[in-house]
Amino acid sequence: MDFNRRHILGGAGASLGVLALGAPAVLGQAKPRVVVIGGGPGGATAAKYIAKDSQGKIEVVLVEPKKEFTTCFHSNLYLGDFKKFGEITHTYDKLASAHGVKLNHQMASAIDRAKKQVVLADGSRLSYDRLIVAPGISLKYDSVPGWGKEHEKVMPHAWQAGEQTKILKAKLDAVPDGGTIIMIAPPNPYRCPPGPYERVSMMAHTLKAAGKTKSKIVIIDPKPKFSKQGLFQEGWEKYYPGMVEWLAPDIHEGIKSVDPKTGTVVTGFETYKNSPLVNVIPAQTAGQIAIQAKLVDKSGFCPIDANTMRSTVDSNIFVIGDASIAGAMPKSGFAANSQAKVAAMAVRGDLTGSRVFPARYANTCWSLIEDGDVVKVGAAYAAKDGKIAATSTFVSKTKEPADLRKQNVQENLGWYAGVTADMFS
Amino acid sequence: MNEMFEAPQGRRMNALSALALQGAAGAVFLAWATVAAAQDAKPLKGDKALGEYLSNTCTGCHQISGVSKAGVPPIVGWPEDQFIAVMETYKDKVRENKVMQTIAAGLSKEDLAGLAAYYATIKPTKGAAQ
Repeated sequence: MDFNRRHILGGAGASLGVLALGAPAVLGQAKPRVVVIGGGPGGATAAKYIAKDSQGKIEVVLVEPKKEFTTCFHSNLYLGDFKKFGEITHTYDKLASAHGVKLNHQMASAIDRAKKQVVLADGSRLSYDRLIVAPGISLKYDSVPGWGKEHEKVMPHAWQAGEQTKILKAKLDAVPDGGTIIMIAPPNPYRCPPGPYERVSMMAHTLKAAGKTKSKIVIIDPKPKFSKQGLFQEGWEKYYPGMVEWLAPDIHEGIKSVDPKTGTVVTGFETYKNSPLVNVIPAQTAGQIAIQAKLVDKSGFCPIDANTMRSTVDSNIFVIGDASIAGAMPKSGFAANSQAKVAAMAVRGDLTGSRVFPARYANTCWSLIEDGDVVKVGAAYAAKDGKIAATSTFVSKTKEPADLRKQNVQENLGWYAGVTADMFS
Repeated sequence: MNEMFEAPQGRRMNALSALALQGAAGAVFLAWATVAAAQDAKPLKGDKALGEYLSNTCTGCHQISGVSKAGVPPIVGWPEDQFIAVMETYKDKVRENKVMQTIAAGLSKEDLAGLAAYYATIKPTKGAAQ
């Protein structure tokens, strides 16, 4: 229900008189409202922090159709049987009960920027003083010839966690010994996690644990190199010898087409037939609503001010997480959580005059290669020359001692518990 | 044993070490004791509001409730000088953890004082393992 100043002012004279007497609805004096579109890592964190830190001075409405959210991060651990599905799925109950966030479980269908309103799926409108746009990615279904949305149950992407993740897991478990899994890896820029190469590791782990060591995973990659490549390739050789084959574009000579009916993948170099599992991870853009609202540039993602995450297109709007162009930061849940807190601070500064500090961001991505072996890459970031730039970085090294990798395993698990508590409770 | 809890390399060890390495709080105390002894303790008066903002980076891993899971220790309710001393050991790369070294690298003395002032005021929630 949209009950705002505009409606009050536009109402019948008698009601206006009563309301004006009871509550002076003068512009600038009513409680400001922030609407958050999207309840993923970025949106949930932003909603929580604005509500919590404004201590009731700002009304926060979180618009998210789902009542449960499954994290992309650690969804690979579910594929590898290291976590149960319930352990990567969270509710929004505590955002409402502990912090007073109002939940609106609908799809946001459009943003009316001129009127500062979000149009919901049922046609109703929510006015906002500031809007946080956190829709994540949308998949470019036409980026892989022969594949489309209608084929996502047969050739799953599992790049938006939930039902897709379960489909991928069921297909993985059904791969016969000797079967060849094909992963079509995404071009840059892509959401990560779920990391494609951690996913390959977890697929190989599951096959190996089931004694299916004659099976193979072939990665058809549009990129000539990838993050933590040396670490992954060292791990695959060590734990899954002969089971993982990574093909760069100069080797496979391009992805020509897929045929979901027959499990066929055609590259410029070879045709793979009867694959029991083809994991198609297509090209990506910002979530559709950001595109419709013209918050994107020609890259398909949303330019932002590096110090606040404020849209450079509309000063009443902040774009966080995967949909944003966040400079050197990856499109990870960790990054979205970090960006959300910077945006929350800037929004409170706008609406309640609270102090605003220079932006600090951080990210770490842990990848499980095999039981007891986690590698990591991370950085701290700040705004520099108008972009988010790394101020300090690190990455695991090849040939590291095993006990260091085991410590990373524990750190990864502790981080998941910490970051999900920060987002959802 | 988690790398965060390792005794600082190259620093003087003492008889507390065996005890200290049994838990996060103990290890942290060791670091504080070793470092504090080696330098003048004239802590800056921390800007708590700055610290609260900077804590947003910490809360991505360390729970504000003081609850601790797996390899991420609790950091709430520490004495301010202890908090600063531990962070300095990461800044100096005396302690090994790469994530913490990277975070600490970007924090000034004022930042650390602010963080310490803020975290000193946070009490663990009931039931949080310390």
